[in-house]
Amino acid sequence: MTRVTHVVIGGGLNGLVAAALLARAGKSVCLLEQSPTLGGMAAPGPDGSARMAHLLYNLSPRVARDLGFAGGRWPLSMTELPSVSLSPEGAHVVVRGARATLADGTPHAQAAAFATLHGRLTRWGALLRHLAEAAPPGGLDGGALSMQGLRQMIRLGRVGLGLRGMGKPEMRAFLQALLSNAHDLILDELVDGPLAGLLAADAVRGAAAGPRSPGTVFSLIYRMGHGGAASVPKGGMGALIDAVAGVARAAGARVETGAKVARILVEGDRVTGVETETGETIGAKAVLVSPGAQVACALAGHRHFDIEATNRLRGIRARGTAAKINLTLDGTPEIPGLPADLLGARLVLAPSTEAVELAFNPSKYRRMSDAPVIEAVMPGLTDDGQPKAHLSAIVQYAPHDLEGGWSDAARDRLLKITLDRLAQVAPGLPARVTAAEVITPDRIAGETGVPGGHWHHAEMALDQLLALRPANGIGRYALGPKGLFLCGASAHPGGDLMGLAGLNAARAALEAAS
Amino acid sequence: MALSSSYDAIIVGAGHNGLTAGAYLARAGRKVLIVEKNDWIGGAAVSRSLHPGWTYSNCSYVCSLLRREIVRDLDLPAHGLQVIPYEGGATFTKDGDYFAYYSDHDALRREMARHSPRDADAYARYSQAVLRQCRFIRPFLLRDAPDPASLRPRDLGEMAYLVRKAHGLGRKELGETMRFWTMSIGDFLDQHFENDLIKAHLAGSGIIGTGLGVYSPGTAYVLLHHYMGDIDGGIGAWGFARGGMGAISAAMGRAFEAAGGTILTGAGLDRFLVRDGRVTGVALEDGREFRAPVVASNMDVKRTFLTHLDASDLPEDFRRAVGRFKIRGSSAKLNIALDRMPEFPAAPPHASFLRGDMHVSTSLWELERAYDDWKAGRWSDAPYIDMLIPSQIDPTMAPVGGHMMTVFVQYAPYDLEADGVRSGANWTDEKRAALADKVIGRIEIACPDIRDRIRHVEVRTPLDIEREVGLTEGNIFQGELTFDQLFFNRPVPGWSQYDSPVKGLYLCGSSAHPGGGVMGAPGANAARAILRDTGGSGRMKGYAA
Ligand SMILES: Cc1cc2nc3c(=O)[nH]c(=O)nc-3n(C[C@H](O)[C@H](O)[C@H](O)COP(=O)(O)OP(=O)(O)OC[C@H]3O[C@@H](n4cnc5c(N)ncnc54)[C@H](O)[C@@H]3O)c2cc1C
Ligand SMILES: Cc1cc2nc3c(=O)[nH]c(=O)nc-3n(C[C@H](O)[C@H](O)[C@H](O)COP(=O)(O)OP(=O)(O)OC[C@H]3O[C@@H](n4cnc5c(N)ncnc54)[C@H](O)[C@@H]3O)c2cc1C
Repeated sequence: MTRVTHVVIGGGLNGLVAAALLARAGKSVCLLEQSPTLGGMAAPGPDGSARMAHLLYNLSPRVARDLGFAGGRWPLSMTELPSVSLSPEGAHVVVRGARATLADGTPHAQAAAFATLHGRLTRWGALLRHLAEAAPPGGLDGGALSMQGLRQMIRLGRVGLGLRGMGKPEMRAFLQALLSNAHDLILDELVDGPLAGLLAADAVRGAAAGPRSPGTVFSLIYRMGHGGAASVPKGGMGALIDAVAGVARAAGARVETGAKVARILVEGDRVTGVETETGETIGAKAVLVSPGAQVACALAGHRHFDIEATNRLRGIRARGTAAKINLTLDGTPEIPGLPADLLGARLVLAPSTEAVELAFNPSKYRRMSDAPVIEAVMPGLTDDGQPKAHLSAIVQYAPHDLEGGWSDAARDRLLKITLDRLAQVAPGLPARVTAAEVITPDRIAGETGVPGGHWHHAEMALDQLLALRPANGIGRYALGPKGLFLCGASAHPGGDLMGLAGLNAARAALEAAS
Repeated sequence: MALSSSYDAIIVGAGHNGLTAGAYLARAGRKVLIVEKNDWIGGAAVSRSLHPGWTYSNCSYVCSLLRREIVRDLDLPAHGLQVIPYEGGATFTKDGDYFAYYSDHDALRREMARHSPRDADAYARYSQAVLRQCRFIRPFLLRDAPDPASLRPRDLGEMAYLVRKAHGLGRKELGETMRFWTMSIGDFLDQHFENDLIKAHLAGSGIIGTGLGVYSPGTAYVLLHHYMGDIDGGIGAWGFARGGMGAISAAMGRAFEAAGGTILTGAGLDRFLVRDGRVTGVALEDGREFRAPVVASNMDVKRTFLTHLDASDLPEDFRRAVGRFKIRGSSAKLNIALDRMPEFPAAPPHASFLRGDMHVSTSLWELERAYDDWKAGRWSDAPYIDMLIPSQIDPTMAPVGGHMMTVFVQYAPYDLEADGVRSGANWTDEKRAALADKVIGRIEIACPDIRDRIRHVEVRTPLDIEREVGLTEGNIFQGELTFDQLFFNRPVPGWSQYDSPVKGLYLCGSSAHPGGGVMGAPGANAARAILRDTGGSGRMKGYAA
């Protein structure tokens, strides 16, 4: 039997970050990934294309620093994309940072209001980043006088100071907005239309929520932690995953693919290792799990969790609503009203806040949207490292628990709805499609083991955030028997390609070991 | 009545909160005038006779939230207030069954077990959880909400009180409290129960008066807002005020007058008089003017600051914040005079639940759909109704043999959609009649003979409620009870303690902390703030101090 100090289950970004940091801290680490490729939701397709995740907007510089990359910077060459909010009426809106114009270059009527709002959200986002970069505040385990407790107080104080630094009115506005809904926040400043719709779509991407749902401002602010601009990394998501896996391996971690963990071994009240599907056992003092608390519990066995904890795990909401559609095209499509040099931008179809809410409605009743919100990008237009003819589209809402199930017919229907919707702005596009891959949340769940195939592994709602993420009592990475930790997106601060859940989990595991 | 030209304090609006504030001030020795635009007092806590022989509680219809401290301080029973608790309720299904809610534990358990044995077991845990939240929140209702951006001793003191209370819960319970405050009533019920009918029955309180759906985060709090009251010490119990909800206002009015206060009805405010950033009095629509160094507005925050004040008297950012205050109409009401008790074929004879609150929504999804209609500017195709027949318990509401039925309707928009335009002006008489027909169709699920029993119906759309009571957009709570508008955010951040940028001008209605319902707390809290700020001889007497 192999022995290590730490096993990490799952080779998505967070698992890789956790493994790399543990190895760099001198631990002996084994990472086991069930799929043949690393990356989880960010795993590239066989041709290097963006199979699921396709853009970076929240990658943490803090993680780059701790991974020891030269100069504390991600070793990726990134192309920042403008965002285009496509309007079926033809007046597409282009957003670069805080600047909104129309596609023909003329200023947007609400450019000033947008810039103010954008500035606010970005300032607030920087603030929340402090919170994201550590275990959530709240549980002063070990008492306020422990090192951990003190550090937490200081961090909270820093957020507090940041708030005070902004002055009373802004602090008050922040505390109000944090609890508000995206619909109100946006429409208090902007007339409803494609510009407002763009923000609304960003607030709910990956969520089982509409812009009117209270709490959606929190998610929007989170996304703006680094200004909110989306980038394509040269070489695609594979480049990101390879970079982190490289650090892990260089620090001595064993990184295995095609190795599915079947059981987490527990003796008494401690984990002792894992057993893979093929019967190999690996002894370990600690096990970190990427795909969610429910999976951790199932792998370790419910009997190692008290009834209250089991109930709480059962209560975690993780209904995936985002599907991914990859289209292979026989040439670059045209979008009337959009200059060709903007075809490589992040293209969003969310004509208004109201439209996003309407798209959300059917998903509540386990039906797919008739007029879905789409975020499409053709990464090959800005990165030679990725296939030219690939259009990558995130389609919302396509609920995991579709009524009647995700049959082939249902998937075809989603594809047709998506193509029809895209054709409203790019009439020639459907004819250019030579192949289509439809990855619905049930498939995402099947491939990654993540409950509900949820983008964030657990809904980013206020009652599942910070110290309550993914559930009350397990908000600080440790759960169940001693030595068991969460290290994936279901833990604070949640999903998106950020790397912070992995970083915080590695720290928690290191603290527990010392 | 001898009117003088100046007072220590003037209150605009004789809603129950204005009356409460007035009574506390008068009892502290202040000379107080209340001006009310209607020819009657009570605002949304009112009883009126619109069909000879029958009395309607036109707006609010059941009582629980009224703080008992206020009842005692103002000696309301001595001024004629009598609240009679009612027991239980039911949700009727289309196929002739029902779920009945009994206050008797054994009866409730049996009834729950009839629908789901598992849910019968779960109920104790559920009600414990809700009760714990009630106990946690109640002490905050009669306290100031601290401004987290302020370092004033009072704010720090209140903040420390909050932290102490939160700390006292223990870590785990604090987590549960934070979850409860931020989750949806649908998720909360799903977590405890499996049976659709039981969940639907319990969910109603989470959406009443609210522009949110059962699955919108924050609706668990709205449920709490309906459970944190009590009658005779029974937390969460509801009752009828004998003589209708107007009886509460009437008792408050008498308490106010007994303490030397003056009420002027038929006296609508035209504008607040302001000089050099200070309020100096009020000017009425009929041209009369009265002077006072303190004026408290019982009107909602929008009406107060945007309609009756000059823009130049307010800082721009305050005006903007008030402009953004969400006060959406989402409720309608039918008040019905019945010639006799209608039949409830599903119910056993003399069932106690017929004297309680009755409903016909049978699943959370049906309720959620009702919300989607509202979002789109339509009244719900299958609205949630909360109907009661108080005349069974309080015979003063109808002539002998006759009955009075009150039917609260969720959801109906203020800005009704018609031909692509959303506006309150779209509420024509035909639309009003169509809404009534829809609601009566829903009542028929429980009592098929309802149409034959009807002698008179008063239909109140959000527009009607706005016009009569002055509640902007007909929002029953004088502003949404979402967490961005509660506690230190109510009505707007930085102004949660009843005062305003105009010196001497206060808010004393439900737009202020802790919000709407016939509770009296905003009025009592405002009086406390006024007495504190104006010093002098007056000190508030009583528990609410
Ligand atoms: C369709 C889609 C598009 C997205 N697009 C973007 C985007 O453009 N930008 C962005 O920032 N975010 C995006 N996201 C979100 C982001 O990809 C995720 O939040 C993030 O990748 C989660 O990383 P993770 O490491 O926590 O988990 P995952 O990437 O989900 O990794 C979990 C890993 O665990 C493995 N595993 C599970 N069970 C076992 C087992 N028993 N044994 C061994 N291994 C196991 C899985 O195979 C998987 O590799 C998208 C998500 C989806 C679903
Ligand atoms: C249909 C409906 C049903 C409800 N059901 C219940 C229930 O069952 N139980 C419950 O607890 N709560 C219920 N509520 C909520 C509750 O009734 C209100 O939140 C509460 O009564 C508001 O009291 P208030 O004193 O703050 O304001 P209001 O009652 O709104 O009082 C404001 C007063 O100001 C007066 N006014 C307005 N403009 C002027 C002016 N220009 N000049 C002079 N006076 C003016 C108005 O006429 C009114 O008298 C219901 C409300 C409605 C509308």
